[in-house]
Amino acid sequence: MCGIIGYLDKSGNVDTPIGDILYRMLSTLSCRGPDSAGVALFGKSHKPKLVLRIKLGERGSLEKKAKVVTEELRRLFPIHESQVYSEYLRAVVGPVEEPGNAPNLARQVESVAEGLELVSAGTRLEIVKQVGSPENLERSYRIRSFRGTHGLGHTRLSTESRVDLSHSQPFWARGLADLATVHNGHITNYHRLRRQYEQRGFRFYTENDSEIIGLYLRDQISRGLSFEEALQASVDDFDGSFCYLAATANQLAYVKDSFALKPLNVAETDQFVAIATEEVALRATLPGHFEVSEPDVRQFHLWSVATHAMEAA
Amino acid sequence: MPQKTAAREIDARATTEINRRIKELMAAGEKEIRVLNVQAQHNLAVGIIQAVSVLFEGSVGYYCGGLIDGPTIEVHGSAGWGLGESMLSGTLRVRGNAGNSCGAAIRGGTIVVHGNVAARAGVGMKGGLLIVEGDCGYMTGFMMQRGIVIVCGDGGAGLADSMYEGVIYVGGKIRDLGNDAIVLEPNSDDRKLLRENLSRWGISAERSFKKVVAGRKLWNFDKQEIGLWREAL
Repeated sequence: MCGIIGYLDKSGNVDTPIGDILYRMLSTLSCRGPDSAGVALFGKSHKPKLVLRIKLGERGSLEKKAKVVTEELRRLFPIHESQVYSEYLRAVVGPVEEPGNAPNLARQVESVAEGLELVSAGTRLEIVKQVGSPENLERSYRIRSFRGTHGLGHTRLSTESRVDLSHSQPFWARGLADLATVHNGHITNYHRLRRQYEQRGFRFYTENDSEIIGLYLRDQISRGLSFEEALQASVDDFDGSFCYLAATANQLAYVKDSFALKPLNVAETDQFVAIATEEVALRATLPGHFEVSEPDVRQFHLWSVATHAMEAA
Repeated sequence: MPQKTAAREIDARATTEINRRIKELMAAGEKEIRVLNVQAQHNLAVGIIQAVSVLFEGSVGYYCGGLIDGPTIEVHGSAGWGLGESMLSGTLRVRGNAGNSCGAAIRGGTIVVHGNVAARAGVGMKGGLLIVEGDCGYMTGFMMQRGIVIVCGDGGAGLADSMYEGVIYVGGKIRDLGNDAIVLEPNSDDRKLLRENLSRWGISAERSFKKVVAGRKLWNFDKQEIGLWREAL
């Protein structure tokens, strides 16, 4: 049992209080997942630069390590901003050639010091997650003040793997900038798929089956499938009962399994698309009249942010 | 001056508070209760056995009206999973959509959903009537044992899978049938039943309904039909 949420402002207004909306939605679902909480936020574009969110460690004073890492990163690419927030180093770097495709980026960044993990990389994407409640997440990272067009959120009840920052969600599709996922359920053919990917050289950072969704989508896209085609293919390729949401720099999507065994509620108006495991998250957060429905088995749907916003950003 | 209504009103946020107030008003002999600003909280109005009328102004969450025996419950919004689960008698009416397992294992009473229902509506029904004005989702009527489901819109995949008895009427297209489900043409009794039950709720019965029942091939195991069982299991 986990809670997943997604929100997208259809007008593409990058000044939408996305952090506040996601936080309020997530808070109502904290009872579904007391282990950890996280959000994937899509703010204004830094293209051709990338925003990196690097996990420095799990706890303790990391300021000193942050300084060393920042200096080392400077050898790799120009750094425009860098701040330390609790366990994270946030850095705006670049320009990076082909910012949409960064397969070696994680390896480069993580090799500059011991115990680093590139939690997210993107022109717009920033992932913030940690052990504990959404309230703790807000206290540590002030996510409510974040503005952007869309985002994802997750509250986790761990059933099969460790409870720490790395195992928390959302997951970045490591190697493909700006792609993030949140997942509720179990991918029961995870071990078989993981072995196949490992034989092809993919590295897994966690024992969490949810991690494979982003890697799978990234792999399908690298084989030439569109994002939508990759989502569709996943309905057949993943076994188990699950719902997941995926977001790119300008899209938000949901996917439902072949058994319809996990709840998901979708509300769409002229202004927004809002998705949550339980309707209570939508009603407690979003004003006005809107209809809520539960997608049927094997359904998936993709929405795009208005493209003018991407160009203006 | 605000219009005076006969119904007593409740305006509270927490599930326990709403349910406690409903119980208090019922104990005081109130027959009509209106719950305002409902925000899809779970487990509302579960286990009510009094002939009381409860109106929810807003959506309800999981298991609304479960285990009820006698009340009339109306929801001006949508409903989450397990609407009316295991109800014995009474009426549950939802103006919007309903989530998974709507009317699961009900033994009697009537559930009316004016929108669509998600997967497994009427699963394991043992009696009662479930009316869906819109479409139904995956595996509607799965392992139904008795009762009637009327779907005015389209039927989802795996419709009526492994039914024992009971009947499902579908007014629109059926995506595909579940194991051992067969389609019959409705006769005049069926048409009368549809007219009577739908007109009561202001729903037109002027559609070309199909009648889906169990083929009864899974009632008894016969090793001559092992292929049928492999498919069903």
